[in-house]
Amino acid sequence: MPELAFTVLAVMAIATAILALESKEIVYGAISLAIMLMSIAGFFILLDAPFVAMFQIIVYVGAVAVIILFTVMLVRREKWLKAEVGGLQMVGILGGLAVAFAFGLLLLQSTLGSVVASGEAVSFFEIGVQMISEYWAALLVLALLLAASLIGALTLARIDKEE
Amino acid sequence: MSEIRTFPDFVKRLVIVVGGLVILLVVLFGVLVNTVPVVSEFNDVLLASLSNPGVMLAYLDSLGVGLNSTIFRIVVFPGFTWAALIAAEVIWFERKFLAKMQLRVGPLYAGVIAGILQPIADMIKLLFKELTAPARADKLVFYSIPLLLNAIGAALLAVLPVSEAWIIMRSDVSMLVVFAVIGFAPITVLLAGWASNSKFPFIGALRGLHQMIAFEIPMLIAALSVVLLAGTLDLVNIVQAQSSIWFIVLMPMGAIVFFCCLLAELERIPFDLPEAESEIVMGYQTEYSSMAFGNLQLGVYIRFYAMAGIFTTLFLGGWHGPMILPAGFEIANQVEWFTLKTLLVMVFMIVLRGVNPRFRMDQLLRFGWARLLVLAFVNLFLAILILQMGWFP
Repeated sequence: MPELAFTVLAVMAIATAILALESKEIVYGAISLAIMLMSIAGFFILLDAPFVAMFQIIVYVGAVAVIILFTVMLVRREKWLKAEVGGLQMVGILGGLAVAFAFGLLLLQSTLGSVVASGEAVSFFEIGVQMISEYWAALLVLALLLAASLIGALTLARIDKEE
Repeated sequence: MSEIRTFPDFVKRLVIVVGGLVILLVVLFGVLVNTVPVVSEFNDVLLASLSNPGVMLAYLDSLGVGLNSTIFRIVVFPGFTWAALIAAEVIWFERKFLAKMQLRVGPLYAGVIAGILQPIADMIKLLFKELTAPARADKLVFYSIPLLLNAIGAALLAVLPVSEAWIIMRSDVSMLVVFAVIGFAPITVLLAGWASNSKFPFIGALRGLHQMIAFEIPMLIAALSVVLLAGTLDLVNIVQAQSSIWFIVLMPMGAIVFFCCLLAELERIPFDLPEAESEIVMGYQTEYSSMAFGNLQLGVYIRFYAMAGIFTTLFLGGWHGPMILPAGFEIANQVEWFTLKTLLVMVFMIVLRGVNPRFRMDQLLRFGWARLLVLAFVNLFLAILILQMGWFP
């Protein structure tokens, strides 16, 4: 059963990723991108990490995909159609395949295959404990970044009033 | 047969048609009982259950669709049918109550008491109307939006703890599930407006998008303070943490912020800019007709019920309440308190709709980003203070 789910999710992710790039209608591209990001969330659920999966959906589908759709709606269609890739497309595809092949070889030769999962999923409480004990510096930087963006948003919101 | 002119005529015709069908089915059943073994077994169970209903329940349990099965929970009780029934009657109540507030009469004819069957009559009317779409609409997206909106409303029901025993899916992270599902709403609204390929829906969709993004963040932070106090992301544990004192008493500010964000997410007055009737007809729902519109409305009202239920869960103590039913009915008591509180929240939202004008777009955005966000953060710090001082047991 997990194998079947994995196959379905993998096919869905790759198909929608290709569709996101190749679709003529840019809105369909944005929708396929959202579906692709959701199938990534499906992978996280398969890995017994619902916490990460839910955040994947909240951040990528709820915020990133919405912002992309929003931008797409506000830009004229002709501007998107003008972008011609030409012969470089083949180079890109071959390059991508080569990189994927190289990564595959690397993974096959690594010791990843012999790692045995403990069976217990890591609870998000442990993630939280690790965050404030071992990785406190990263947490601090993240907090500063969030505070800066929040102050920026508030400033932007207040500019209207002064005009 | 005679022409149908009034609603009673219509009901008579309906009774004739349905009655004929029932008689036909009974005859068919009588023939099948003697030929197909499965049907004759069902017949035995049916006859036995006339004197002892437990037989029927046991038989359904053996088929995997009994009262304790997940399918029953999804389809019937805390799930879709229950929510759809509440949604239909809330539509009636909203129309009647608003009419009373505005010194009108409201629904009157359908149903014997005060037009109580009006939503059913409306649904039957919608079923028989023509399904139309604008000529240049994107048909695939256009017709899938009502179902999608229904789905994201009903998905919230999965984690809604109606009582300790009646919950479809219990999860460690059900609070995050709620916010993940809420995150789909802007996409649905935007696509509805885009696929209609029409001016008013598109303006409505862009307004809806602005509004939902602006109010999602203070909503998340207000809910975060609840998570801090309860120390869990599980909605069942959050309700259990409120057994002695409700969070609305500890954090009234957080409850107000969350409530305002709920109103904005549900696009209800005073934040109903995406479907402002006097400006843009019906917003992103303008081009929908027939049962597509019916589905859209059903989705909106199921979402209304589910979000009110989440407010009840987070701030009003969920299923907790004094025991008013006789002993032995503890679970029924919990269900009744949860439903009562949820309905009260919904009634309060409808009262607000009756007495408030509509915000302007810039007022709305400033209210969201510059007021509610700040208040949500202040509330978060107050929650940390309550936790540090040990005021919450």
